[in-house]
Amino acid sequence: MESSQSVAAPAATADQASALQRLVSAPALLVYAAVLLAAGAILGFWYAPTDASTMGFSQKIFYFHVPVAETALLAYGVAFVAGILYLRSRDAKYDRLGVAAIRLGLLFSLLVMATGMVWGKAAWGAWWAWEPRLTTFLIACLLYAAYFVLRSSVDEEERRATYSALFAIIAFIDVPVTFVATRLMPAGLHPVVFTGQGAQMDHRDLIAFMVAMVGMTLFFVGLLRTELAAARLREELDHLKNRLGS
Amino acid sequence: MAAGAVGVGVVELPPARTSAGRQLYTIVKKDVISELRTKEMLLSMFLFAVLAMVVFHFAFTVRADTDLTYFTGGMLWVTFIFGALLGLNRSFVHEKDEGCLDGLLLCPVDRVTIFLAKMTGNLIFLLVIQALAVPIFTLFFVKTSYAADLPAFLAVLLLADVGVCAVGTLLATIAMNTKARDLLLPIVFLPLIIPVLIAATSATTGIFAQTASLGSLGAKLGFLAAYDVIFVLAAYGTYDFAIGE
Repeated sequence: MESSQSVAAPAATADQASALQRLVSAPALLVYAAVLLAAGAILGFWYAPTDASTMGFSQKIFYFHVPVAETALLAYGVAFVAGILYLRSRDAKYDRLGVAAIRLGLLFSLLVMATGMVWGKAAWGAWWAWEPRLTTFLIACLLYAAYFVLRSSVDEEERRATYSALFAIIAFIDVPVTFVATRLMPAGLHPVVFTGQGAQMDHRDLIAFMVAMVGMTLFFVGLLRTELAAARLREELDHLKNRLGS
Repeated sequence: MAAGAVGVGVVELPPARTSAGRQLYTIVKKDVISELRTKEMLLSMFLFAVLAMVVFHFAFTVRADTDLTYFTGGMLWVTFIFGALLGLNRSFVHEKDEGCLDGLLLCPVDRVTIFLAKMTGNLIFLLVIQALAVPIFTLFFVKTSYAADLPAFLAVLLLADVGVCAVGTLLATIAMNTKARDLLLPIVFLPLIIPVLIAATSATTGIFAQTASLGSLGAKLGFLAAYDVIFVLAAYGTYDFAIGE
């Protein structure tokens, strides 16, 4: 929607605005993300020291696994805010934002579980452990998968958007609650190895981690914008089809 | 005093708004009376609970001397959560199919009062089922007396039920307005209720197996209470949007 506004603007400001927009356009964001993620991986493997504790080399997946996890939570947070904004304004753009964010959040959550399982196999010798964080992501996946079942069973657009917004709000509240609940379970075979990971971090670890983290966040924002653009195009196409049909 | 001056043919209307407490009571009473007329929901929930216990017995007794004590909390709460699902699905079916909900929405009643009333109704039905099913469950599966922990056990039941009914009533309202209806409810309800299941299961097992320390039991009760507060408030705040125009 921004691009259509800038076309009508006076030439000089339009140039500046479009230059700025190109800098933060979805493809540009994805390029920055690619550079930062590659840099994060390089820093993680060659600059950050190999973990001195029991995890050793397997700890390197930390620079991918944790940024993915935090981005998944960010995505759910975006959907939560979009849900509140939708219920307040009834503006369909917040519904589109909510769906796009949850779709990406679900994708990132699956990645969290996949990388978590790889790490689990390397560190604990088992592909799956009912460890609080991994379990929370599994439940989040089920929860946000249900979001799409809910969407598909409502035809009327406004009602679908309302229920989706409502569910996105409730689900986001449930994620931290679930995490606390999993801590109530009797401790399993595996102690929570992650505790103190952040506190014990060497400054070189921290640099590699931050680079990867920023890269992953930009990757998410780039994908989100691409999704939103696609959703707008789909809507426009539907509109045109309807006009042709009538 | 003004009533005396009202002329013939003028109908004296009751006060425009009755108190929210009275409205709540009236709706709950309506639900209880209509259920007592058929008793179909209570009866099927109770039979389901007993059937589930029998199924669990055969599913888990792998040897003659199998000790199911450490499964008791899980068996009890799986039974109640699935039993509650049956009731939650039913609680809006009549409302919707008989056009009762439209009548209810036309009444000068706050939507949130409707929520609290439906939630209270569901809570009452669940508590009735539990009052009948828990003694049977105890007879079947619990080896040692838990009389000393009875207050704690009742607190677990009540706190977990409030969470189940708050989330369940909100989601049942949404599910009723979708194409999938009763198919949708378990899919959206179960992942949201897992925290309650975790806390209630481990607290109940601790009580039945006599392994719970006071501290761990207190933590679980505290967690259940916090869950109730969070989700009753969340459902209360969003119910207006769930029930629709």
